[in-house]
Amino acid sequence: MIGDLLGILLISFGIFAIALTIIWAITYPTLLIWGLIFSGKNLDAMIANTVERETEIKAKIGKDPLSNIDGGYRKDVKSSGIVWAGAVYGPSHWHLFIGFLNNIVGGSVDIFQKVISAGRAESMQRLREVAINEGWDEVINVRIDTSPMTPASHKKGLKAVEVFAYGTGIKYS
Amino acid sequence: MVLRNHFMVEQIQGIIVVNTETIPGKLITESFGVVSGSTVRAKNIGRDITQGLKNIMGGELHKYTELLEESRKEAMSRMVSDAMARGANAIVNVRFATSAVTTGAAELFAYGTAVKIE
Repeated sequence: MIGDLLGILLISFGIFAIALTIIWAITYPTLLIWGLIFSGKNLDAMIANTVERETEIKAKIGKDPLSNIDGGYRKDVKSSGIVWAGAVYGPSHWHLFIGFLNNIVGGSVDIFQKVISAGRAESMQRLREVAINEGWDEVINVRIDTSPMTPASHKKGLKAVEVFAYGTGIKYS
Repeated sequence: MVLRNHFMVEQIQGIIVVNTETIPGKLITESFGVVSGSTVRAKNIGRDITQGLKNIMGGELHKYTELLEESRKEAMSRMVSDAMARGANAIVNVRFATSAVTTGAAELFAYGTAVKIE
């Protein structure tokens, strides 16, 4: 009786595992080819979009609202508070493959540099937008943190970094 | 930017949080030491699978951006309540630290110095 139940359980689990394997065997190459065709184009479109929004906001205010200095250079500050923005970005597996080839040859791995700096520009742009939406005139003491989503000890898993920008918003009276 | 509103309410309640060493136009009179707040959060396994598939194609992983936003807000509000319990009315020199515990889960840590300002 118990043997029968166990057999049924094992068979259904086996079928489930095989089905998952088949789905994965179809999905993974499809997505990889999708990445091969579109990921470079998507990355360029994203960079262009960020640059466009950045120039727009700079034209509206007249200067870059972000700065890295630790305040205290103007006396007429009415209020202050923290602002932050972040974004999680990852290269496609096709880009990872190109990066792997680059790594064999040595030298600069341009493709990762491109992905990460695109993510960084995007999160800084988000910080500008958040600061303007919340009504701050300027953001001082801006810090940028970059941290991986997967621990270095894990071989497998998500290949993505989180870029996080924060600073102190100040409002002039 | 709905997520932020909760935090803005706390600022209105009297706790000013900045990441500079001083607060422009205010005088620091008393220090209460380091206050901190941390949290570990994860998305459900369905999200993990869809984001894993998205990762193959590259680009931004919106659900994880959202996850880190939520958890940072939580760590921050824990830090603020710590400061409130000590009787402070501002937190200066706030720093953030992020560490990946495992794939899809992140520990967010916020710390700063609780002070009294005039």
